[in-house]
Amino acid sequence: MTPELSRFDPLRRILCFDDFDRGFCGWAQHQGNYEGSLDTVLPGYAQMQAPMLSTLPNWDFGSHGGIDGTYVLKIQTLPQPGARSSAVKRLTFREAGPVRLEFYFTFKPEATEAKLSETDVRAFGLLFDLQSGDATPNGERVMPHLRFLNARDGEHVQKWQFKRAVEQASTISAKTATHDHMADSGWEDLPGGAQRLCYNEIATKVNWHYGRVDLDLREMRVMGFRINDRVHDMRGFAEMRMPAWRNLWCMLNILFFVETDVAKRAWCAIDSVCISAE
Amino acid sequence: MLPQSHLSVVTRNITWAGPGEWTTEPQEVGWAREAIFFIRALKPPRWPEGPLEAQVQVSPDGIHWADLGREMRLPAREGEMTFLPVRHFGGWLRLAVTLPAEAEITVLVSLHLKA
Repeated sequence: MTPELSRFDPLRRILCFDDFDRGFCGWAQHQGNYEGSLDTVLPGYAQMQAPMLSTLPNWDFGSHGGIDGTYVLKIQTLPQPGARSSAVKRLTFREAGPVRLEFYFTFKPEATEAKLSETDVRAFGLLFDLQSGDATPNGERVMPHLRFLNARDGEHVQKWQFKRAVEQASTISAKTATHDHMADSGWEDLPGGAQRLCYNEIATKVNWHYGRVDLDLREMRVMGFRINDRVHDMRGFAEMRMPAWRNLWCMLNILFFVETDVAKRAWCAIDSVCISAE
Repeated sequence: MLPQSHLSVVTRNITWAGPGEWTTEPQEVGWAREAIFFIRALKPPRWPEGPLEAQVQVSPDGIHWADLGREMRLPAREGEMTFLPVRHFGGWLRLAVTLPAEAEITVLVSLHLKA
């Protein structure tokens, strides 16, 4: 195993190993659904910004860099309270079995003030957008959502949450619908999900955190969730579930997102992602 | 390895209306050796004094900005697209434009980057 892969614990078959020193690796700006005009995109999606290849440069000590190499994937919001951005990787699956997502992440507000700013980022999150195969009886679209609610209204909350509540879908046309599933509503606390992450001591220093999510695509369920040294108990977790949509068979999408709580840009960075399967 | 090539859509269906200053969101582009900005008008613009020019701006940190000394004309009519190649821009790029009262344009701004 190479040094780059040895910091992961992949399942037998590696589907993707995305080291952003090799480019964007298929992580794209999230585009909300539309028809006829971009005016039909929901506001929650219209605000989303393009991901960047970043050295995490800072005004006070220069480029931070990644775990190794120069570049990481950076996702940044608009400077408006509640603004959210995400990046997505769009796959389909071949075997409805175990899939493991592993990643290293960090988040910070834009360092426009010389103060700690630890309560400026509202949330960092990830989600899967899954749908059963077209031959599966009673097909479902299943969207496991997890977010780290870092802060709200100046309180440093620091806890993991999940979302099973299905946001109201809007019909754009006979062929296209849309729903703002990442919206800041309907989130529930993951039991035992309080976790204090290393934030460091000024607004520009970052530390990388390890994350792992285990899926079982046969049951369309999350089986495991680990952040650094904490293996979270997922017995109280629930996925967002709905009847299958018309064009999404075998979908295996993965998204990372970040949300700001104040009128300041928030960003998250990902340095390498490993997706593996049995 | 083949050279890197990437298209970023940096402003999507946003209406810039005067009076006031508008900028595209900061784009970190230090990995690229060349860039081209494209601006397309998605709706009929209003130009009381003719189409204006946007300034290309650079930054060391994505927070503090200075004019690069390159200007880019904004589209005069719906569907028109203007472009500007840029080289030697350091780590960050954005566009800035100051619009007078009554001026308005709805834009799609994209940035094609190559290394």
